[in-house]
Amino acid sequence: MSEKKQEINKRLTQVFHDVFDDEDIQIFDEMSAKDLEEWDSLMHITLVVATEKKFGVQLNAAEVGQLKNVGEMIELLMKRT
Amino acid sequence: MADDYLKLCKQFIKEEKYREAFAQLRLAQVNDDFARLHRHARLFKSIPKNSLELTPIKIAMVATSTVDHFVDIFRFWLSLQGFAAEIYVTEFNTMDQAILNPASELYTFQPDIVWIFTNSRDIHIDLVYGSSQEGVETCLQENVERFKTLWTTLKQHSSAYIIQNNAEIPLERVFGNYEGSVAWGKINILRQFNVQLAQAILPGVTVFDMDYVSSVYGKRTWFDERYWYHSKHAFAFDAVGLVASEAARLVSAIKGRAKKCLVLDLDNTLWGGIIGDDGLEGIVLGDGANGEAYVDFQKYLKRLKDRGVILTVCSKNDESNAKSAFLEHPEMVLKLEDIALFTANWKNKVDNIQDIAATLDIGLESMVFVDDNPAERDLVKKYLPMVSVPDMPEDPSWFMRTLDAQQYFETVTFSGEDQKRSDMYRDNLERKTLQTQYTDLTDYLKSLQMCATVSPFDAMYQSRIAQLLNKSNQFHLTTTRYTEAQIKDMMADENIIGRYFKLKDRFGDNGLISVVILQKQNEHDLFIDTWLMSCRVLARGMEDFVQNEIVAIAKKHHCQRILGQYIPTKKNQLVADHYKKFGYIMTEENQGTTLWALDITNDVPSRETFIENESKELV
Repeated sequence: MSEKKQEINKRLTQVFHDVFDDEDIQIFDEMSAKDLEEWDSLMHITLVVATEKKFGVQLNAAEVGQLKNVGEMIELLMKRT
Repeated sequence: MADDYLKLCKQFIKEEKYREAFAQLRLAQVNDDFARLHRHARLFKSIPKNSLELTPIKIAMVATSTVDHFVDIFRFWLSLQGFAAEIYVTEFNTMDQAILNPASELYTFQPDIVWIFTNSRDIHIDLVYGSSQEGVETCLQENVERFKTLWTTLKQHSSAYIIQNNAEIPLERVFGNYEGSVAWGKINILRQFNVQLAQAILPGVTVFDMDYVSSVYGKRTWFDERYWYHSKHAFAFDAVGLVASEAARLVSAIKGRAKKCLVLDLDNTLWGGIIGDDGLEGIVLGDGANGEAYVDFQKYLKRLKDRGVILTVCSKNDESNAKSAFLEHPEMVLKLEDIALFTANWKNKVDNIQDIAATLDIGLESMVFVDDNPAERDLVKKYLPMVSVPDMPEDPSWFMRTLDAQQYFETVTFSGEDQKRSDMYRDNLERKTLQTQYTDLTDYLKSLQMCATVSPFDAMYQSRIAQLLNKSNQFHLTTTRYTEAQIKDMMADENIIGRYFKLKDRFGDNGLISVVILQKQNEHDLFIDTWLMSCRVLARGMEDFVQNEIVAIAKKHHCQRILGQYIPTKKNQLVADHYKKFGYIMTEENQGTTLWALDITNDVPSRETFIENESKELV
């Protein structure tokens, strides 16, 4: 894993901890809504909004809808940060 | 980030200390971002409802945009206003169906309040550019009628109170600035719509001023089109706190829970400076930047009074000093007749506020306490948590905005009666004499974490000592006025012992706040030539601390008596009984001037204080 990806992974983990208020969550590339009981459409939006803030980026409307799993999020953040 | 309190809250919930957990959540700020408020809302959700004393309320949101993300945060904000809300949201974009169908779930829910949550996209503007005034009127009428029909129908099938959003004026202007010049421009159409909507309002319906709220937030960030296109969110996620808090206040007003009464401090709140020390000419009011700010703040308070808010005064002051500003200062906007109840004394403010509530016969929960002094505010917050206490900034420029932003006095009606309310209270008042000391302040004094130092006069502080000697009037037993040169001479005089005292507490450093000048008159007697203290630190045990120090000094010099003197002036009535309180015996009286003596040949018990002595050992 590249250094940049590690850093993004670390910060994104922090976002998950804050949003789900659970310090035990460990994220992985294939992780998606089905892996976390509470990850519904509302939490998805919350995750995206919190991620935007944490990384200081603005995703565009189409991107918000396309993010299927953690790996895609990280990939997008690799491109945008 | 200051999320310590959220962690603490979570811990409390784990320990099933729900009230303590909820108290932590009260620290939420309107400007907190979405993710943060979302955490508050989730924590609130995990507190069992019956563990808090909240009033149940049912609110239905009939929305033409996505509000799912808002509901939890709104419910949380309603809890801060004392409500346990059940919130029902109609299916997305079914406003007309839900309202027009008497069998809809909206009605089976039996809401207390229905919030018709529209946005400016719901206003249909179908005008040709350059349309006639007639065309404009027709367009407006059609839009307003549509809402009127919804309200009337709602009222037929439900007794719910109705909240109706007005239209937030959007950013885009196809004609640019010119849109403001023509009645048919979209911007002006929406402005007119908002006015006509207000004119069409029915009893039991009130407008939620979305245009105002979006302006306050800032329209460039209020509108986040990405989330409109993606998921039909009509306003920025980070604006949820503002929308929720404004709406929660409105719900409170609908339920008759708005605040009624302002309790105002005087010194450094209504004017700059201390009237007792600086005198009528010395206070800051009218001239200069701060003087103007205080005048404007008073004008704002006067406007509140004119709309029916009861104004009262609660000040640590001599009553006649305090009133002199109202009677004689030419720049005072507030007059004595604007004040329903005037309390100026030296008792603690917790007792005084309870006294005011009892006298006016209003609940503590309907009172708002405004004071520049964080220690006074903290005391009231701690002992009277039901009283609202805005955190006033140091700069008076922001007083008006700080108070106004809280929207304590939100209302959904206004009548002639309201205008007269304050006068009514004043006229009908028979001041009850409540002498009871309600509050044991020991805990509070401890919580202040006070530390004092005592030092002999020195070059560094000689000018500050001289300044205080010449400025202080109230807590100044002899009103002696020495120059800096005289202070300097005293330092060289071995029969004179000068001491200055500084006090810190957890709110910060109060600086040099007390001075005594002692004189060895002969082998046996130590005479207190001067004893003064700043009234800002009155009733915190500082005078006791100083007395202990004087006794220690007297003993060190092998004196048998401490002699004190009180010379009355117009301003120092406060300390007329000062020596008596400390057990001195009066030995002489001459035209009001009194002499006092304390025998210290026997052990004088040290007076209890909650102030730690941080001084170095003195010679």
